Amino acid sequence: MTTIDDRPSTSLTPQEQQWVDKFMDETTLFLGPDPAIMRDHGIAPRSAREERAIVAGVDRLQVERIRKRIAGALDEGYEMCEAQGAAPGAKWGDLTTAIYTAAGDVSYLSCHGVIAFSAILHHPIRYIMKYWKDEPTVGIHEGDGFIHNDARFGNIHNTDQSMIMPVIRDGEIIAWVAATIHEGENGACEPGGMPSGSETPFDDGLRMSPFKIVERGQLRRDLLTFLQHSVRDPKLQLADLKVKITAVRKIMERVDKIIDEVGVDTFVAALRTTVEDVDVEVRRRISELPDGTYRFDQFMDSTLKENILIKFACKVTVKGEKMTIDLRGTGPEILNRAINSPLCSVKSMIMQAILAFWWPDLPRCTSAMSCIEIISDEGTWADASYDAPMGQSLQASFRGFSAAQALYSRMSFSTPEKYSNVVANWFNQINTFLWGGITQHGDTVGNLCADLNGMPGGAKPFRDGEDAVSPLFCAMADTAEQEVMEEEVPFMQLVSKRLVRDNMGFGKFTGGMGYEMIVAAEGTPQWGFMTVTSGSKFSSIYGMYGGYGCGTYPLAMVKGTNVYEHIRRDSGKFDLSIEKVMNERPFEDGRYATSHMGLQFDIAKDGELYMISQGAGGGYGDPLERLPESVVKDAELGRISQKAAEEIFGVRYDAETFRLDVEGTRAARDAARGARLRRGKPYAEFCAEFVTPEPPKDLHYYGSWGSDTDDITATVFTIDGPQRVTAPLKELPIVMVPDRREVKIARLEERVRELEDKHGEEVRRKS
Amino acid sequence: MKRISVDIGGTFTDCFFVWDDQYVEAKALTTHHNLALGFNEALDLACRRAGLDRGTVLQEVDSVRYATTLGTNALIERKGPKVAAIVTHGFEDTIPLSRGRGYGEGLDYSMQQNLPAAERPEPIVPRRMIRSVKERVNSAGKVVAPLDPENVREVVRELVDAGAEALVVTLVNATENPVHELAIQEIVLEEFPAHELGAIPVLLGHQVSGRKGEYVRATSTIIDGFLHEIMFHALSQLSNNLRDSGYDKPMLVIHNSGGMAQMNSTDALQTIHSGPIAGVGAAEHLSKETGLGHVISTDMGGTSFDIGLVPEGGVKHYDFLPTIDRWLVSVPMVHLDTLGAGGGSIATYDRIHDSIKIGPESAGSNPGPACYDRGGLRPTVTDADLLLGYLEPDNYANGYIKLNPKRSRFAVEETLCDPLDMDVLDIARAIKDGVDEQMAIGIGKELRVRGYLPEDFTMLAYGGNGPLHACGVARHAGIRRVLAPPFSSVFSACGAGNMKQLHFHERGVHVTLYNPTSRQLYADYAEFNAVVEELEARGREDLVRQGFAAEDVKYRLELDMRYGNQLLTQAVALEDINRMNGVADVLAMIRIFGDVYSHRFGASSAAPEAGIRCNTVRVASYVDGDVVSFESLESGGERTVPTEASRRDVVFIGHDDPISTPVYDHSALTHEHVVPGPAIVTTENTTYLVEPGWRLEPTRQGAVWFLQD
Repeated sequence: MTTIDDRPSTSLTPQEQQWVDKFMDETTLFLGPDPAIMRDHGIAPRSAREERAIVAGVDRLQVERIRKRIAGALDEGYEMCEAQGAAPGAKWGDLTTAIYTAAGDVSYLSCHGVIAFSAILHHPIRYIMKYWKDEPTVGIHEGDGFIHNDARFGNIHNTDQSMIMPVIRDGEIIAWVAATIHEGENGACEPGGMPSGSETPFDDGLRMSPFKIVERGQLRRDLLTFLQHSVRDPKLQLADLKVKITAVRKIMERVDKIIDEVGVDTFVAALRTTVEDVDVEVRRRISELPDGTYRFDQFMDSTLKENILIKFACKVTVKGEKMTIDLRGTGPEILNRAINSPLCSVKSMIMQAILAFWWPDLPRCTSAMSCIEIISDEGTWADASYDAPMGQSLQASFRGFSAAQALYSRMSFSTPEKYSNVVANWFNQINTFLWGGITQHGDTVGNLCADLNGMPGGAKPFRDGEDAVSPLFCAMADTAEQEVMEEEVPFMQLVSKRLVRDNMGFGKFTGGMGYEMIVAAEGTPQWGFMTVTSGSKFSSIYGMYGGYGCGTYPLAMVKGTNVYEHIRRDSGKFDLSIEKVMNERPFEDGRYATSHMGLQFDIAKDGELYMISQGAGGGYGDPLERLPESVVKDAELGRISQKAAEEIFGVRYDAETFRLDVEGTRAARDAARGARLRRGKPYAEFCAEFVTPEPPKDLHYYGSWGSDTDDITATVFTIDGPQRVTAPLKELPIVMVPDRREVKIARLEERVRELEDKHGEEVRRKS
Repeated sequence: MKRISVDIGGTFTDCFFVWDDQYVEAKALTTHHNLALGFNEALDLACRRAGLDRGTVLQEVDSVRYATTLGTNALIERKGPKVAAIVTHGFEDTIPLSRGRGYGEGLDYSMQQNLPAAERPEPIVPRRMIRSVKERVNSAGKVVAPLDPENVREVVRELVDAGAEALVVTLVNATENPVHELAIQEIVLEEFPAHELGAIPVLLGHQVSGRKGEYVRATSTIIDGFLHEIMFHALSQLSNNLRDSGYDKPMLVIHNSGGMAQMNSTDALQTIHSGPIAGVGAAEHLSKETGLGHVISTDMGGTSFDIGLVPEGGVKHYDFLPTIDRWLVSVPMVHLDTLGAGGGSIATYDRIHDSIKIGPESAGSNPGPACYDRGGLRPTVTDADLLLGYLEPDNYANGYIKLNPKRSRFAVEETLCDPLDMDVLDIARAIKDGVDEQMAIGIGKELRVRGYLPEDFTMLAYGGNGPLHACGVARHAGIRRVLAPPFSSVFSACGAGNMKQLHFHERGVHVTLYNPTSRQLYADYAEFNAVVEELEARGREDLVRQGFAAEDVKYRLELDMRYGNQLLTQAVALEDINRMNGVADVLAMIRIFGDVYSHRFGASSAAPEAGIRCNTVRVASYVDGDVVSFESLESGGERTVPTEASRRDVVFIGHDDPISTPVYDHSALTHEHVVPGPAIVTTENTTYLVEPGWRLEPTRQGAVWFLQD
C-alpha cells in the first residue's frame, strides 16, 4: 500500500530531464526573446577557432592593415546605403554597416553613422545562431540574409531594420556582415514608425524577430509582399531592402577578397584581437577615473498622453578598472503607454555616450562597454518586459545617454588625460514633426522631418555650446533642405529653424540654442502631424556646475483657420513666431491651444498652424560669471531678452544703443550675490525644510523617492481611482493608465449630471 | 596652335607653353603679393626654353588660360568684403545654423566624429548682417505671401547702415519663381543706383544656382559675393599685366566644372579647385588621345592625395554639392576626392592596437617633416622615405629644400621605437607601406562605389610625391600599370591647355518619368522641352557673349535621376537625346538610367518599381577648340638598360636587408630604355621609385611607365 509519505520524488534524473527538455522543445508555442542573450552585453568568450588563430601568432601591423581595409569596405557600404536609401533616415545618415565575429560581437562599425548599433546587433546574431542555425526548417547557408527590427530581440527601436548575412568558409560561419537603416514607417498605429499613441505592443507596427528573407541569394518575394502589405509605404520597404542587400553584398565581396589574401585564421584573429584590444583599453581608461560613486537622476514629465513624473535613476560606481552602472530605482513600466524601452536599447544609448562623448577615438566595438556591469531590474520603463509597448522607447533610452554623458563629465573633469572636451548635457529630445497622409503627388506616406537632428550642444568649460548642431545619436547627421522637402510632402515650414529668444541653458558659458518650426499643410486631401517629445513641464536637460538646464517648451496650435488665406490677403500677417502668434493672436477665426508635446496623430486642415521648438543644451557655470560683453552681444542679436540679461546674468545696458553699463552691472551682480548669501542656509537646515518622505500627494509619481532605491513609488489606477503605492518593484501592481478619452467622457458626464441636478432637468438618454 | 596655360598653386606657378609643335614646361615660385610677377617669371623661362621673347609670344598666342587657387586662399584667409544677406521670413537662422553637417564639413573624419569638440566655422555672413523679408513662394512657384516693397526698402537700408559691402538675396523656392528676388534687386538699384557712390553689388541666389536647396544655394551665393571683388581685382591685375605685354585677347579662366570662360562669364565660385580639376581634364584628354582606357588620376603632394576618376567613354562624375573650405555649396564640380595622406602625414603610436597610425594630421610645409629641420619633431611619410634611402638629402624639390636624415631618425626613435619595440628601419617600412595602402584603399573605395574595379584602371601618378609612392599604391590597389604622364611636373597647366569653353546651366524640376502608384509614364513633353530650351538659350547666350557664333555651340543634355525617394541623384548624360518627343524617349531615358545605376550598384539593385524621378535638368553648352597632341605612349618592345649614374643602399618593402640599388638620371633616359626594379630615377622635380617586381619604361614627351613584371 502506498502512503502519503511514499510520494515519488519530483527531482528529475538526467535522463528524465532530457525527456522533458525534448518535449518542451517540441511543444514550444513560439520563440520569444531569450533572456540569456538579451541581458548579456559582454563579448563572447574566445571560440576554439579564435584561440587557435591567435595562439598561432598575430602580426599587429598586418591586423592593422586588415582593419583599414575592412573600414574601407564598411564605408563603401555605408555610402551606398546613404546614397541609395529612400528613407529620410538613410539620407541624413541614421544607419550603419558593420562586421561581426562569428559569435556576433561587433568588431568594426562604419566610420560614419549611428554608433549605438555597436552595442546591440550582437543580440539578433546570437539568436540566429542559437535558434535558426540548426533548425531544419531554417538553417544558415551561403547567400542567406536575415531581416530584423524588433527591439525586444536587440535594436535601438523598431524603426530600424537590419539585413544580416553570414560569411561562410568551408561550411563554417566565420563572421557576419550587416547593414541597418532607420526606415521610419513600419505600419505602427501612427505613421512614421515611432508611435506615441501605441498602447499595446501590437500598436508598434512590424515586429520582426530575426528571420530569413534572402534564401541562398534570392530575395523571398512572398515575405517581401507580406512586409509591403504591412506598412504604409510599400515603395520604401522594397527599395531600402534592396539597398541593404546590395550594400552588404558589396562589403562581403571585399571581405572575401581579404580572406583570400590573408587566410581564414588571420582574418578571424584580426576580428577578435580588435574586440579584445578595445576591451583592454576600456579597462585601462576606467582605471584613470577617480574611484567613487556618481549619481544622476532624471525625470520625464509625461506618458506622451498624460502629465506624470517618472524617474530614470542612474548611479555609477568606479573602483579601479571596474565600473558599475546601476539603474535601480527607475520608475516602473507603464503597460499601456509607449514610453517603455527594453534594456538593450538603453544600453545602446549608454554605448552612444561612451563612443561619441567619452572616448570618440575608440574603435566602435561591442567590447567598448563589455566590461562595464549594468544593474537593472526588469519591469521598469528602462527595462521593460515583453508585453510593454515601446513605440517611444527613445524617451527612456535617450535618458540613458544623458546620464552617461553627464556623469562622465564629472568623473573625468580632473583626469590629466582627456579624450575630448568636458561638455554639459546635450539636448536629448526628438523635437520635430512626424507626419503622414496623401501627398500632392497622390502617394501615401508616413515619416518625420530631419529637423530633429538640430539638437543643441551643451556648454563647455571654456566656450558656449553650439546652437542646434547635431543629434546626440549620430555625428554628421544631415538636416533637410526645406525646398527639397516641400517638393515631396504637402506642407510648408512657414518658420524654419529660427532660434528662439531665451531658449538656451544660461550659464557662464551658455548651452546651445534651439530653433522653432511652424508648419501648415497645403493642397492635400488628407494630412496629419504628431509630436513625440517630453520636457514641456519638467526640463529634460540639466545644466552643469551652476549652469541652467533647458527651459520647458509647449506645443502650440492654431486650428480652425487657414493662414495661407490670411497672408495672401495681407502679407503683414506673415510675421510668425510662437511668441507672437500665441500672444497677439493675429488670425481672428483661429482657435489657439497649447499642450505638452505628446500629440497623437492629428488631422491637419490646409493652413492650420502647428508650432514647436527645439530645446536647448545645458549651460556651464554661474551666469553671474559670464562676460558682461557677451551678455550684451546676445541681447543685441536678440538671443536673450532684456529681462534675462538683467535677472539671470545681472547685466545692465542701454536697451537703445546696447552700451554696457559697467557700474550698474557690478552693482547688480553684487546685489545678486548678496541675495544668495541671505537665502543660503546650512545643509541640515535645508534638508529639514525641503526633504519630504514622499512626493506631493497630487503628483502622479513613478520611481524611487530619494536615494533609497529598494522601494518604488507609483500611482496605480484601480476601480476606485488613482492610488499611490510604495513597494519593491516586484511587488508593485501592474501600472496601466486609464484611457484619457474615457476619463474625459466620465468627467463631462459627471459635469452634465451636476448641471442637471443643479437646474432640476431630467433627460432620458438612449444609452 | 600657340597657347599659354598657367596654374598658380600655393608654392609654384606652373606654365605649359605650346608654340606650334613645341611643348615647353616651366615653373617659378608663386609670388603671393603680386601673382603677375611669378606668372611672368614662369612665362619668361618657358620663352627662353623655346628661344622666343615674351612680347612676340603674347602678341601671337591664341589664348592665355589660367587656373587659380586665389579664391580658395581668399576664403581660407577670410579676405573679402562685408557681405549681407536677405532671406525669406522664417529662415533667418538657416545660414548661420547650416545643415546638420555644417560643423564638420571640410574636416577630417576624427574631428567630424568628436561631437564634444564640434564647433561651426566663423561665419562669412554673421547673424547681424542677415535680415528677412515677408514673402513666400511654394514649391510649385506659386506666390503664397506677396513681397512688400516697403519692407524691402527698410531692410536694405538697415543692412547698408550696418556696413554691407555686398548684398546676397536668397529666397525660398526662387528657382521655381524668381519674381521676388528680381523685385528686390530692382528696389536696391532704385535706392542705391549703380552710378552712385555707395552702390553695392547684388547677387541673386537663383542666378548662381538653379538647384533646389535654400541653404546650399545661399552659401554658394555668399561665397560668390565674398570672393567677387578680390577675384575681380586679382584677375584684372593679371589681365592688365598681359595687356601691358601686348596680349589683346580676353584672358580665359578655368572652371571647376571642367570647362573655361572669359572673365566676364566667370563666377568666383567656379574657379575654386580649378587647378587640380584641370589635372583631371588633362588625364581625360590623354586617355582619349592615347587609348589608355579607364584612368584614375592621382596627385600626391605634401598634405593631400587627390583622386580623379576618368572612366573610358567620357562618363562624367560630378559633385553637385561639393564642400569648399568648410562650406557645402551647390555648383556642378568635376568630382575630386581628397585624402589626408601626403609626404607630411604624421605617424603616431596607436596605443589601442599597439600599432602605427598615419595621418590625418599633417606637418604641412611648416614646420614640415622632421627632416626639413624647421622644428618638426614628429616623424612623417617623407621622413620614412628618406630613412629608407629613396630621397637624396641634397636634391629634394629641385634642391629648394635640404633634408636632414638625423632629424628623421631622431623623430622615429623618440616617438615610435620604444612602444612598438621595433627598429627605425622596420618602422619606416611600416609607415611607407601603411600610407601606400591607405591611398590604395581610397582609390578602391572611389572606384567600387561607382561600380568599377581598380584592376581595370591605369593609374596616373603626378605631384611631388606621386611617382615615389606609385608602385606601392598600385600594388595595394591591384593596379598593374602606372603612368607618370607627359609634362607631369606641370600636368594641371597642361590640362588647362585642353579645356573647352563650356557652361553648365541647370534647373530643378519635378518630373516623374514613371509613377508606380498611378502606373503612368511622363507625358508632358512640351513642359520638359521648354526647360531644355531655356537652359540651351542661357548657354548659347554665354558663348555668344564671348564671341562665338551661335551655330558653333554644341549641347549635351544631362538629367539627375533617382528611384523613388532616394537621396542619390545619379547624373545621366543623354548623348543622343536632346528633346522628349514621345514615349520612346521616356523609355530610353529610363533604360539609360537603369544601365548606369546597375553598373554602379550591381545588377539587382535598380528599383524602378518604386518610381523613377528626374530632379534636375542640366545642359552643357560648349564649343570645340584645338587641343594639345599627346604622342603615343607605347611600352614594351626592344629596350636596353641605361647606364646607372650612381648606386646606393635602399630598403624596400618585403625585403629584410637593404638592396644596393642603381640610381639613374631621368634626363639621360629615352623611350628605348628600360629600368628594371629595384631602381631610383631622379628628375628635376621629383623621384621615381621603381620597386622590386616592377620596371620603368620611358616613353614620349617625358612620360614613364611603371609596369608590374
